[in-house]
Amino acid sequence: MVSVDEPKRSPKNPVANGQNVDGVFSPRFKSMAALAGWDEEALLLASLVVEDTPERETKNKKRSDLLFKTPPSNSRRKRRAQRKSPISIPVAVLDLDEEETTRKGTENEKKNSEMKNVVNDEKKKGANESPEQNSSGSCSSSGLPCMDKLREELSCAICLEICFEPSTTPCGHSFCKKCLRSAADKCGKKCPKCRQLISNGRSCTVNTVLWNTIQLLFPHEVEARKAAGALNSREAGCKVPETAFYNNLRNESTRASGVSSRDTSSRRRRGTVSHVENAALAIRSQRGDEDQSQGRGVYNNVRMRSSQPGVSSRDTRVRARRGMLSQDEDAALALRLQREEFMDAFRETSEQSSSSISLARANLRAMASRAINLRIRGRTNM
Amino acid sequence: MMISGGIGGKQPSASSSKALTASGGGTSSWAPTTSLSASGKRIQREMSELNMDPPPDCSAGPKGDNLYHWVATIIGPQGTPYEGGIYFLDITFPSDYPFKPPKVVFKTRIYHCNVDTAGNLIIEILNDSWSPALTITKVLLAIRSIFTNPNPSDKPLIPGIARLYLADREKHDELAAEWTRRFAK
Repeated sequence: MVSVDEPKRSPKNPVANGQNVDGVFSPRFKSMAALAGWDEEALLLASLVVEDTPERETKNKKRSDLLFKTPPSNSRRKRRAQRKSPISIPVAVLDLDEEETTRKGTENEKKNSEMKNVVNDEKKKGANESPEQNSSGSCSSSGLPCMDKLREELSCAICLEICFEPSTTPCGHSFCKKCLRSAADKCGKKCPKCRQLISNGRSCTVNTVLWNTIQLLFPHEVEARKAAGALNSREAGCKVPETAFYNNLRNESTRASGVSSRDTSSRRRRGTVSHVENAALAIRSQRGDEDQSQGRGVYNNVRMRSSQPGVSSRDTRVRARRGMLSQDEDAALALRLQREEFMDAFRETSEQSSSSISLARANLRAMASRAINLRIRGRTNM
Repeated sequence: MMISGGIGGKQPSASSSKALTASGGGTSSWAPTTSLSASGKRIQREMSELNMDPPPDCSAGPKGDNLYHWVATIIGPQGTPYEGGIYFLDITFPSDYPFKPPKVVFKTRIYHCNVDTAGNLIIEILNDSWSPALTITKVLLAIRSIFTNPNPSDKPLIPGIARLYLADREKHDELAAEWTRRFAK
C-alpha cells in the first residue's frame, strides 16, 4: 500500500520544501552573513550542497540514463557546470564542508564582538538559530531558493504540470508537446496563451534547451511522468540505451533485408521480422490507393521471399488464407497479428532477464520493416 | 506505433470514468487511487491551486464524489447592486477538459442582462474564445467582472434588462439590488 502511494507523493514533496526555503534565514542571520561577505543565495546553496552531498550522487546516477535521450553535444561536465550558478560557489563541493564550519566559527566570533550590548538570552537564541536553519534547509531536496517560481514558469498551462518534452510556439509560449498537439487538434491552431496562429501544430518539435533544463531541475517529476507514460505505451517504457542497439540493428536489418550472409540466428530473426513485414504491408496495401496493382505485385514478391525456412506457422497460415481474403479482412488480420506480436514483445519486456534482448528484437523489427518500406518505394518508383 | 498510441489515448479516460462512477457510491474520498485521466489530473491540480491561492470573493470545489461536478460561490462585489449577495454556481467539466470549456450555470437567481432565468450565462471565454490555458480561477474572475461590468451590447440574454441598463441605470441598479436582497441573501 505504502509503496503504491510513494511515487504519487514524491512529486509533491519539493513544493512544500521549496516553500520552506524562503523562511530559512532570519533577518539577523542574514545581516551577520552579509557582514561576513556572504549573500543570501550563497548561504542557501552552501548549506544545501553540504547537506545534500550523498543525495546528489544518487541523483546524478539517475540522470545518467537521461543522457541517452539528449543530443550528444551535452556532456556531463557541461551539465554540472550549468547547474551551479556561476557566482555562488567558486570552490569545490568538498571544500565547502570545511568552509561551512569555519564560517560558523567566524560568524559566532563576530556576533560576540559586535553585539556586546545585547542581552544574554538573545545571544543564545542567535547561536541556536544556525543549526536549526541548517536542519530545515537540509530537508529541501530542490537545490535553488527560487524553485517555486521556476516550477510555475516551467509548468505547462494546459496540464498545469511541469512541461514534459516542451514545445515552443512561434509566439514564444511553451507547452508539453502532447498538450500542444491536442490543443491544436481540438481547439484550433491558436496559441492557448495568446491566441496567435500556430502555423502547424502537428510538426511541433521539442525545445531541447528547455527540456534539458527541466530534466535537471525537476528530475523526480520527469521520472514520474515517464513512468506514467510507460504504462500507456511500451515505447515510453523502454529506457534502455538506444544507441547501443542502433548499430546492432543496422547490421541486422541489412542482413534481414535479403543480403548475403544468413546464419541461423539471423534466420530466426527473419522469421519474426516477417510478421511485422506482412502486417505493415497489408496495412499499406490497403491504404495505398495510388499504385495498387503495382503494390500488390510487390506484396506478393515480398511474401515469396519471406517464405523461407524459419518462418513461423502463423505466417504460413496467413499465406494459405491470403488467396481468398478481401483486402479489408487482410488488413484486419494483419492488425491482429501485429497486436499479437506487440503483446509477445510486451510480455518479454516484463521479464527482466530477457528485456534487453527483446528490446533489441523490437528495434530490429522496426528497422527491418522500415528497410522494406524503402525497398518497396524504390521498386514502385522503378 | 499508431496502434499503441490509439490504445493509450483511449484507455485512461475509460478507466477513470469507471473509477469515478464506482467511487460515486458514497465513499468520502473522492480522489480515486487508480490512475486518473488527463482531465482528472488537471482538475485535481486546479483544485489544489484554488485551495492554496483562492481568488477574491470566490470559492469552488467538487460537489460530492464526482471530480467533474463542482459548485462555486461568488460574493457580489462591493459598489455594485449585487453587493452582499452570495451567488451559487454549478460547474460541469466535460470529459475532454481543458480542451473544451466547462459549463457554468447560476443556481441563484440574479437580475443581470447576461444571465437568463434558467441561470445560463454568456461570456465569451466559456464559448468561442475558450482556451485550454484558462482555469476555473480565471473563469470565476471573469464571471465576477460581469457583476461590475454587465455587457448589454453584445447579444444579451435578457434584452429587457440590457435596455433598462442602458436607458435608466438607476432603476436597473435598484431592481438588481432588490433581487439581491430577495434571492441572494
